[in-house]
Amino acid sequence: MTVVWNDPVNLMSYVTHVFMKVFGYPKDKATKLMLDVHQKGRAVVSSGPRERMEGDTAALHGYGLWATIQHDQ
Amino acid sequence: MKVRRRADSLRMQLADSESHLLAGLIEDFSAMLAEADRDDPAMQRLFPDGYTDDDEASAEFRELVAGDLNSARTGRLQQCRAELPDGSGTISLDDEATERWLRVLNDLRLTLGVRLGVTEGEELDSADPVANIYHWLSAVQDLLVSQVLD
Repeated sequence: MTVVWNDPVNLMSYVTHVFMKVFGYPKDKATKLMLDVHQKGRAVVSSGPRERMEGDTAALHGYGLWATIQHDQ
Repeated sequence: MKVRRRADSLRMQLADSESHLLAGLIEDFSAMLAEADRDDPAMQRLFPDGYTDDDEASAEFRELVAGDLNSARTGRLQQCRAELPDGSGTISLDDEATERWLRVLNDLRLTLGVRLGVTEGEELDSADPVANIYHWLSAVQDLLVSQVLD
């Protein structure tokens, strides 16, 4: 899974935009994930095989989001 | 700084002082990326660990992506720097350029955020010039992203 963590710098609007851009999520889904990150401190933004999660995480790092890969339980 | 929407582009209007400020910030940030000091907290924020619980996997991940991420960041900076007017002026931003500026502004904010020790819910010292630059960058980024999100 790819997890995005809350941070005090990234603007809420920017985070929503990044989720739409990187994953192609519609605005309502991207907004919901952004709010989860903001309110719960983290959100799972994608899941799948390790290689794809590393790709997603690298893309998010390129946008300045704090993302990590988590091994599935 | 003003942002106006045209049919297929955004027009970002910069005052003389704003162009110079951005040029200086981009120069500092480029130097930081070139130095690539892994102990620098701002570099750690821009190139975070890939795994929270697996140092070995994190090291492999870093080996795999950090170089490319750094080159891409440097490339975006150079392109934005080249678009900056020498003094006051207007930059016309198509979708690609808007996206690139959003990312560069965000990188600058992340770097200053680390230097300033920005935390959730705590006000920055309004007498600190760096804090004012940070707030200005936030306002510019917010203007641009609100145009893109609409």
